[in-house]
Amino acid sequence: MSFQNLILSLQKYWAGQGCYLAQTYDVEVGAGTMTPDTFFRVLDRRPWRVAYVQPSRRPTDGRYGENPHRVQKHFQYQVIIKPSPEDIQQVYLQSLAALGIKLSEHDLRFDEDDWESPTIGAWGVGWQVILDGLEITQFTYFQQAGGIDLSPVPVEITYGLERLEMFLEGKDNLYDLEWSDDTSYRELRFREEKEFSEYNFSQADIDRLQKSFALAHEEARALVEKNLLLPAYDMCLKCSHLFNLLDSRRAVSVTERVKLIGEIRALVNVIAQKYTAPEVKH
Amino acid sequence: MEFLLEVITEEMPSSHVQAGQAQLEEKLAAELRSAHLAVVSLKTFGTCRRLIVVGDFARRQDDKEEAVVGPPKTVGLAPDGSPTAAAKGFARAQNVDVAKLEVIPTPRGEYLGIKKTVTGRPAEEILAGLLPGIISSLTFPKMMRWGEGTFRFSRPIKNVLCLFGGKRVDFSLRGKTSTDFTTGHKLHQPQKIQVKSFREYKTLLKKGQVLIDPAERKELIRKNSEKKLLPLKGKIYPDEELLDKLSYDVECPYIFVGKFPENYLELPLEVLSAALREGQKLFSVVRDGRQLPSFVGVADTSRDPKSLIRRGNERVLRARLEDARFFWEQDLKIPLAKRATRLELIVFQEKLGTYREKTLRLKTLGGYICAKIDEKSLKKDVIQAAELCKVDLLTEMVREFPSLQGKVGGLYARAEGCPVAVAQAIYEHYKPISLEDTSPASLVGAILSLADKLDSVVGVVGIGIQASGSSDPFGIRRNATGICKVILDKKLSLSFSRLLEKALSAYGGALERPAAEILACCLNLFVQRLRHIYETQGHRYDLVNAALGAGIDNIFYSYLRLKALDNLKKSPSFASLILMAKRVNNIIRGVPPCKINPELLAEKEERELFSAFSIIAENVRPLVEAGDFAKAQNMILKMQAPLSSFFDKVLVMTEDKKIRQNRLALLQAISGLLLQVADYSQVVGEGEK
Repeated sequence: MSFQNLILSLQKYWAGQGCYLAQTYDVEVGAGTMTPDTFFRVLDRRPWRVAYVQPSRRPTDGRYGENPHRVQKHFQYQVIIKPSPEDIQQVYLQSLAALGIKLSEHDLRFDEDDWESPTIGAWGVGWQVILDGLEITQFTYFQQAGGIDLSPVPVEITYGLERLEMFLEGKDNLYDLEWSDDTSYRELRFREEKEFSEYNFSQADIDRLQKSFALAHEEARALVEKNLLLPAYDMCLKCSHLFNLLDSRRAVSVTERVKLIGEIRALVNVIAQKYTAPEVKH
Repeated sequence: MEFLLEVITEEMPSSHVQAGQAQLEEKLAAELRSAHLAVVSLKTFGTCRRLIVVGDFARRQDDKEEAVVGPPKTVGLAPDGSPTAAAKGFARAQNVDVAKLEVIPTPRGEYLGIKKTVTGRPAEEILAGLLPGIISSLTFPKMMRWGEGTFRFSRPIKNVLCLFGGKRVDFSLRGKTSTDFTTGHKLHQPQKIQVKSFREYKTLLKKGQVLIDPAERKELIRKNSEKKLLPLKGKIYPDEELLDKLSYDVECPYIFVGKFPENYLELPLEVLSAALREGQKLFSVVRDGRQLPSFVGVADTSRDPKSLIRRGNERVLRARLEDARFFWEQDLKIPLAKRATRLELIVFQEKLGTYREKTLRLKTLGGYICAKIDEKSLKKDVIQAAELCKVDLLTEMVREFPSLQGKVGGLYARAEGCPVAVAQAIYEHYKPISLEDTSPASLVGAILSLADKLDSVVGVVGIGIQASGSSDPFGIRRNATGICKVILDKKLSLSFSRLLEKALSAYGGALERPAAEILACCLNLFVQRLRHIYETQGHRYDLVNAALGAGIDNIFYSYLRLKALDNLKKSPSFASLILMAKRVNNIIRGVPPCKINPELLAEKEERELFSAFSIIAENVRPLVEAGDFAKAQNMILKMQAPLSSFFDKVLVMTEDKKIRQNRLALLQAISGLLLQVADYSQVVGEGEK
């Protein structure tokens, strides 16, 4: 099964579970959790079912295309269902079966791994799902986002698509994966990894990054004042990515790190509070 | 009659299962006791998905006699003793003949009433009433909510099976009704399995690929790995923590032996075993103390006919080892000393600054300790080790395998050609991580360990963080225990209060709390830790109190004091020594400090006591300084005779104020002398126990 067929199968499976298939969000994020289709929708009491592919950027994970597992941009398949269904574990296991994995022939474990994202004030309890020693999914019951206790509780299932595909193809190097029948992951992504690694680690201009951070932060604050919460949140995402770039340039000192993350979180928490406050109309 | 309870959840961490089992047993036993339902036996089992209780309880509560109280005797009985209308009315309401009424004494006086035998309620009823409360009151290290609910538990509850005498006990737990079925292994036997007894439950679950007993699973892992390693003539490298965790993480342990390419054996053992253990939870395999290119894995299944599990794990492991090698090679490209400049980028603690600052403090403190224990020749090594010991926090290897901190730094230092003593000190400076762990083998390592832990404790206490109950923020207690252990193991004799002051001054006023408060708080903490250590070693608590009562300005001496007390406790003179100390202390209790004026010593006995005291005090001082408390004690015993005659012949509380105060002053001085060896008044005499 090729990478794209893996995505198609998951799309089909989760659409069959009543999920709305969202499209990839167009602002850089470190994880699918950060996109508005997850972040805003988990905050209120309304039921929600969504699934989508989300490229996730982690600048410090770049390895110039030389490491067989680590990349500065990888693909997640993100599923959010609220409230978490009673049989969600079985539903998830069936999604693996739907990919042609005969679970009875393998060792599949739910290994304690609680998740947290200080930037967006979110944490949850759950597991990494390990298939024959390979971590293929993060499975989390969200407890808090934007500093708010979530009720009902959403479940988040995040498949690491490259890992899962490596399992399906039995390969050691992600660049050897087949994206489609005649196109490899290497052809599509190698140059991008190489150039972005160079950018992330060496070329990104620290001064301009810092200015951009300040601008985005200012904009976010102004937008929060005007109750334009979704655009304000986009600005917070930009801040978060700019912070990550500064970090990979090793340009964030100790005190700054705490301060910058705290600044973004404070804004995100205000956005979450305003979003859930009764007087604000969505 | 047999009781069986099984709570099925999604996968719980092993610590949660253990906590759940312990609490279920304790709470159920306590609740049944207060409900007067007899418990013959009670036992718990558990897997990552199940909390199980099996027991043998009485069918019903014990019958008990109960009084139903009616009118007061004075109202119910006429003066001639005949029942009044009130008594008749009560008897009618209770459906008994009025002649059956008896006089019942109560705290409010005598009443008429009847005694009834109340039949105990059936166990099913009691259990159904208690269980929802017991299960929902379980607490876990971290709790969660799920679905629509506000209920918090370790992980979502899937099913609650409850049987008594083979029949279902009906109750509802947060909207979930109890059942009489279980389910087998999540992947292999997920269908319902109806059960009637514990024996059947256990057997059917075994068929359903679930072993419910953690001890049985552990033994199976141990035995089968031994068996499967026979052809290799290898053995598992012992790792109790991993074995414990795995015996809970799998319901059906299947052991497989895999291989990795031999060229990875070039990596240090520590790195190899971390790559194996963390992430994939594989055991290293050794033969004659040497690592083999093999591993033992534990899967949650009963077979692997196509070797998919083994090969999958081998593939993932290769990638991990490749990563580890990449980190090893990358890290070595930048020497530790050069990397050290970046220590200012990592925070030790938000209010306590960076690791660069900590490093500077460690150098000061390390140098100070060397001087105080007369090991000035070690100073150079200690300072170099202090300079480099935290640098590995900046390496890729420690970022990937945090448990290797310290060790990796030591390995890199050795690979770089640092002096052996420096590399070893870095390697072992986190030791001991618990009371059971060993102290650093080298003295340089021990000094660095001491400096590092002391700096942490003083800093964290200095910003107002304290250990309380079961929480130990920033490892305050763990570090304090480590400090005591290193001092005792290495027999280091130095002034602890001055060491604390030194550690405090190294912070240069960066700490929020007043210095005196920090010192007091630390001293109190260390007294507690020492008490814990000595009592764990099996020493009598009162002797521990007596030894610690003499102060812990020298921690090693507190141990020597304890040993001196311990040696003396069997000798006949011990009791008289204790008695002497108590007598002295009783008289001077609450008396403000007085001064001795030898001129005022009038009686022969008090003059003799004073001269004995003066000679003995003179002799005891150097013995105490040298830590020879056994000899000091013997010396003090010589005061017994003059002291006895003093108490026999001299009236301390005499009318004359000056003379009285002078005698009290003499006793205060004697008490002070005793206290240099131990606080004997803390010893509990034979009669007082």
